Amino acid sequence: MHSEAPAMAARPITGTTLEIDLTSPAQLELTNIVRRFGSRTVLTGADLRVPAGTIAWLGGPNGSGKTTLLRIAAGIVVPDSGAVAITGLDPARDRRACHRRLGYLSAGDRALYGRLTVAQNLEFWAAVALVEPRRRPELIDASLSRFELGDLATSRVDRLSTGQRQRVRLAMTFLHEPTLVLLDEPHNSLDEHALLLLDAALNALAGRGGSALWCSPAPTAALRADAAYRLQDGRVVTA
Amino acid sequence: MSALRQDLSAAAAVVRRDFLIAVSYRTRFLAQLISLFLTLTLFHFISRLVRVASFPTPDSYFAYAVIGLIILQVLTSTLSVPQGSLRQELVGGTFERLLLSPFGAVRSLLATTLFPLAYSVVTALAMLLFASVVFGVRLDWATLPLVIPIGVLGALSFAGFGILFLAIALLTRQGLTGASYLIAGIGLVSGLYFPVSLLPDWLRWVSEIQPFTPAVDLLRHVMVDTPLHEAVGIEVLKMVGFAALMLPLAVGAVSLTLQYSRRRGTVLEY
Repeated sequence: MHSEAPAMAARPITGTTLEIDLTSPAQLELTNIVRRFGSRTVLTGADLRVPAGTIAWLGGPNGSGKTTLLRIAAGIVVPDSGAVAITGLDPARDRRACHRRLGYLSAGDRALYGRLTVAQNLEFWAAVALVEPRRRPELIDASLSRFELGDLATSRVDRLSTGQRQRVRLAMTFLHEPTLVLLDEPHNSLDEHALLLLDAALNALAGRGGSALWCSPAPTAALRADAAYRLQDGRVVTA
Repeated sequence: MSALRQDLSAAAAVVRRDFLIAVSYRTRFLAQLISLFLTLTLFHFISRLVRVASFPTPDSYFAYAVIGLIILQVLTSTLSVPQGSLRQELVGGTFERLLLSPFGAVRSLLATTLFPLAYSVVTALAMLLFASVVFGVRLDWATLPLVIPIGVLGALSFAGFGILFLAIALLTRQGLTGASYLIAGIGLVSGLYFPVSLLPDWLRWVSEIQPFTPAVDLLRHVMVDTPLHEAVGIEVLKMVGFAALMLPLAVGAVSLTLQYSRRRGTVLEY
């Protein structure tokens, strides 16, 4: 199975914003986002635009607001001020339409039902993602295959290694063919080969006009990044 | 595929998920049944002590108590199990997936109440069978089928409380907040173990202004033919009224709590 994965190509990640067509329609647009937690202002007016077909990386030290920004983009947290648009839609007003287009991976290794098998977790997600029943087997198979989970499909999730669990979480994130994917530290616990699988999934996403924003404290050349940003004093700046 | 069919399919997936998780703990159902059968046995021996005007024979009190115990078990499942499940979803991080799913957190939470209800109906039937076969409780077979419509109406009138407790769990990020107090209170004022006529006047009014007393009264009447506390029409009306009032109120409370938690940024905290 491993031989089928694409070869890893080291890519520069910082100091670049590679040939992005900024006039193409944005999959994600964050405008002047401000968010406070108590007396602390985490985001002080963050702007970010991820055009269609673009994979963007967002860096910054621990506590700089990366997760908060991703949660705001996903509609989990509401900003104190500013605007969010997912493929031109407001997540607060068009929640269902936005979430159909959105794939989200949180940091850590949670958000799985440990007592269910890999396939049962994917089937459940496909159903609540409102994938049509006739399309579910095809998309589940594709997702299992994309992250090379076929051999683990009938294994219970609480018996998997942390890296395998991360692949299951990624499989769920990409299962319903979202057009915008938000990934919070997606490379955690992944070995070199699994990173190749994730990179291939990102390439496939961009190839069909989708976009992704992934974040991590430090950059990794193993994953595609057409644009690199970092959070500095609560604002997004080019890395 | 229509939006309604998509939602029903997703709700069925939530029920299936809960079923699969429940059966993955292989001995849980058996252990619960043994516990319930022991409780019934305990009440059988306690009932041997009862010889009062309201219950001329020990068997008549046992039949009365059996139905109370069965309904209490259904209430516990309806009111407290979904709250505990939500707490597990928050701790396990799976609530985040529901929150971000097109099906949505509110619908997912509503669907979470279905499996515990179905599970409690199965255990209730097992208890009824046990009481009938082992202890000879006489069931009123002629009116027994009426348990289904009354049970559905009762479940609808209780469900609002269960959903309201979900909102409280979201707000407080604690499991079983409120539900255990309510269940204890229901045990006291709804005629589960003794007739509400024994309550002092200052407390009896509480038994009149909630849906649990009429549900218990009607279910007991159709199962073991005890006399009714009030006219059927009034009891049904109370249950319909509570269902109509509480369900939209509780769903609205869950929705508002989610909005509030999103604004505060605490929706994924546990």
